[in-house]
Amino acid sequence: MKAYRKTIQNRINLFSLLILIAAALGVYDTFFASEQIKASPMFNFQLGLTAALALMSLVGIFYNKLVLDDEQKLKKQYYKENDERMKAVKAKAGLPAVWVYSALMIVAGMIVGYFNELIFITLIAAAVVQLLLASVIQLIYQKIL
Amino acid sequence: MKTKIRELRREQKLSQEELAMAVGTTRQTITSIETGKYIASLPLAYKIARYFGLKIEEVFGLADYVQGEDKK
Repeated sequence: MKAYRKTIQNRINLFSLLILIAAALGVYDTFFASEQIKASPMFNFQLGLTAALALMSLVGIFYNKLVLDDEQKLKKQYYKENDERMKAVKAKAGLPAVWVYSALMIVAGMIVGYFNELIFITLIAAAVVQLLLASVIQLIYQKIL
Repeated sequence: MKTKIRELRREQKLSQEELAMAVGTTRQTITSIETGKYIASLPLAYKIARYFGLKIEEVFGLADYVQGEDKK
């Protein structure tokens, strides 16, 4: 359980780093971004995504702090994350590979979006559909197994 | 696969949650194993059997399962 405690601590550190990056991006977007960039629809998408990431990271920090303070919760979460049945379900749904592909598609879409809006929409839509499909497949296998 | 986990649990007045915590898994997995939807891995089956102080084949209906598979 000591190693898992360290993993949770690392997660908290990662979430803190994400909040710092989001804050830095927010400051840059508000005060230093050129008017041309601000006029792009990509700008608002990036701003929204950054804010959502920061909010999710904040929730993640609080949740993981709670888990760290309670030995029973820590044990339960460890068993949940390492549960062989859930690992089998996730493998059948193609996770976590789908999460990585989707994240890459979203990042690529955000970069391309500054040059071509159509490719941006296509990439984001494909990533969202991919994530939704994986979730549905995961739910189906959770019922089957 | 048929198992005796539910009967053994009832004998010892043990909840699924308590058994799950004792063998290092989740309540949902214990439910799935009990209902025969999911076949436990060898290490988990061993942990469950050891918890009840029995052999794996005494808890899990392995013979019936293998015979059923052979017929397929």
